[in-house]
Amino acid sequence: MNTTSTVFRKELIDALRDRRTWLIVLVTSILAGPVALFLMSIFISSVEEDAAKREIYVANGSAAPTLINFLQRAGATVKDAPDDYAAQIKSGRLQNAVIVVPDKFEQRLAAGETIRLPVTFDETATRAQPATRATLAAVRGFARELGVQRLLARGVSPQLMAAVEIEELNVASSHARGAQLLFLIPWLALLGSVAGAISVAIDVTAGERERGSLEPLLMNPVAAGAIVLGKWAVVALCSASVVILTLIGFKTALQFIRSENLSALMQFGFSEFALFIVMLLPFAAMIASLNMLAATYGRSYKEAQTYATYLAMLVNFTPIVPLFISIRDAAWQLFVPAMAQQAVMMRALSGETITAVDILLPGGMAIAVTAVALLAQARLLRNERIIFSR
Amino acid sequence: MIEVRSLAKSFDAKIDGKRARVIAVEDVSFVAHDGRITAMLGPNGAGKTTTLRIIGTLVRADRGQARVGDIDVQTDTRAVRAQLGVLSDARGLYTRLTARENIEYYAQLRNVPVQNCSQRLDMMAELLDMGELLQRRVEGFSNGERMKVALARALIHDPHHLILDEPTNGLDVVSTRALRRLLLHLRSTGKCIVISSHIMQEVDQLADEIVIVARGRTVAHGTAQSIRAEAGTESLEDAFVKLAYGAEPATAT
Repeated sequence: MNTTSTVFRKELIDALRDRRTWLIVLVTSILAGPVALFLMSIFISSVEEDAAKREIYVANGSAAPTLINFLQRAGATVKDAPDDYAAQIKSGRLQNAVIVVPDKFEQRLAAGETIRLPVTFDETATRAQPATRATLAAVRGFARELGVQRLLARGVSPQLMAAVEIEELNVASSHARGAQLLFLIPWLALLGSVAGAISVAIDVTAGERERGSLEPLLMNPVAAGAIVLGKWAVVALCSASVVILTLIGFKTALQFIRSENLSALMQFGFSEFALFIVMLLPFAAMIASLNMLAATYGRSYKEAQTYATYLAMLVNFTPIVPLFISIRDAAWQLFVPAMAQQAVMMRALSGETITAVDILLPGGMAIAVTAVALLAQARLLRNERIIFSR
Repeated sequence: MIEVRSLAKSFDAKIDGKRARVIAVEDVSFVAHDGRITAMLGPNGAGKTTTLRIIGTLVRADRGQARVGDIDVQTDTRAVRAQLGVLSDARGLYTRLTARENIEYYAQLRNVPVQNCSQRLDMMAELLDMGELLQRRVEGFSNGERMKVALARALIHDPHHLILDEPTNGLDVVSTRALRRLLLHLRSTGKCIVISSHIMQEVDQLADEIVIVARGRTVAHGTAQSIRAEAGTESLEDAFVKLAYGAEPATAT
């Protein structure tokens, strides 16, 4: 214990004197929250503006005055699509869908033919989704109106057509819809834990090797495990500090960004704040130990940075994997560090109830990984290859 | 007393991309007595550093035995470390700490009482002429200044046994003299001192006993005089060249 606290004190002083490094880490972690929230609020309001404008693009619109007339009656502003609309949609310059009117539209309409009416859009363009939905709905509305008119003309009740009427009940609460974007908050906090750990972790491991101070340090009659523990405590403290600062940054920024859209989407009160910290502290402890373990293999600061970068990438990507392969809240997720923390925090943000298991399972995993990494690290410090090769 | 008997150690290494077994130490034996300075003399790659690392407990020997003050280095590593002061080949310092903080860190790790620590520090600061260095951060220290701090750090717990691996490497005349002054003082207090070197004059001036090591083996052991006599040469240098590079290896003690 004595050794551990001596090592802790020394490494803490050493880390705090590395002013340039911690200033950069500090400033980025404090700024991360406000900047992300600012970008999100811009994004959200632009989406809502697009929807509010209700612009519908039509190519070759002059060939279909009936359609144009319908759209205008429905309250949309009809715009001529640019000639290269397909390319513009693909490149993202046009965030909307385009109705492509075929030639002789009116004649074929009058003849009672079924007309193929292509609507071009890009499904992956998130911002264009509301406008695309509006456009498709408008086209369907047009088709329905025509159908009804034709049935009436033949003396058939249109009600016969409507055997089933769809009523859309979107169960995504407004919180949940916001949380799709809000993955940024837990995610940035997870990244913050890496940012806080990385440089200190390298300094206390590969830094010792590069400087040639590891061999004399290990010549002291103390257990390698005690040294590892002291070093880890400092790295974990730095990591946890950055995480907490990042969260404070979010919380503070939220008070100032009085965007109604944003605050309607967000459930980030003090209980969520506390939950985030409970979720993230064991995670920071784990990241600290893993970073140290990876960096110990580095003979120099630079080499260690390479290893630490691989680890950082893993932490960056693991939490957002479920976004891509659309697994929602599978039980095994709770066993995967980073993914578990992200999933639970997201659920908290979207206003769902969090159970004790949601907190204890990921936390327990993180602590178990920490213990294994620290033991492995202590073993490494008895390895001649690690001690001497410089 | 440090006693080394028939030590052997080999490593796996990559040579031209192929894995190979490199024999660092094959058969090294000597005894270093208390109150004497024993110098291991040998060309680069002779196995001096590996031998010292085995004594320092950080490397395990494949064969043979090493004892520090009657404790086997492989059975009770911590007790051995507690008795040893080692200035190793790697003598890195923490550049953001002051010289004093660097030294006090090791004193705390070794549980040296604060008062003893400051007394020792004063004594060494005087012998090594490093008074005003102590309050400065190590960043930007010269080689000589770094060596002084590393040496003071290695000796802060007043060890009975001292191991110094090429202590004069990269030092100027003034620093070398300060080092010599300290070593002679420590010898007079009855310490057991082992240094390694490949510099003839240094060994000739400082050592009471010389162990010549070449190609991983002890080839001679004795005073400068007895070694010259054994080799039948006028100077120690000639004797060294003859024994280390020349004829058949002689096994000593």
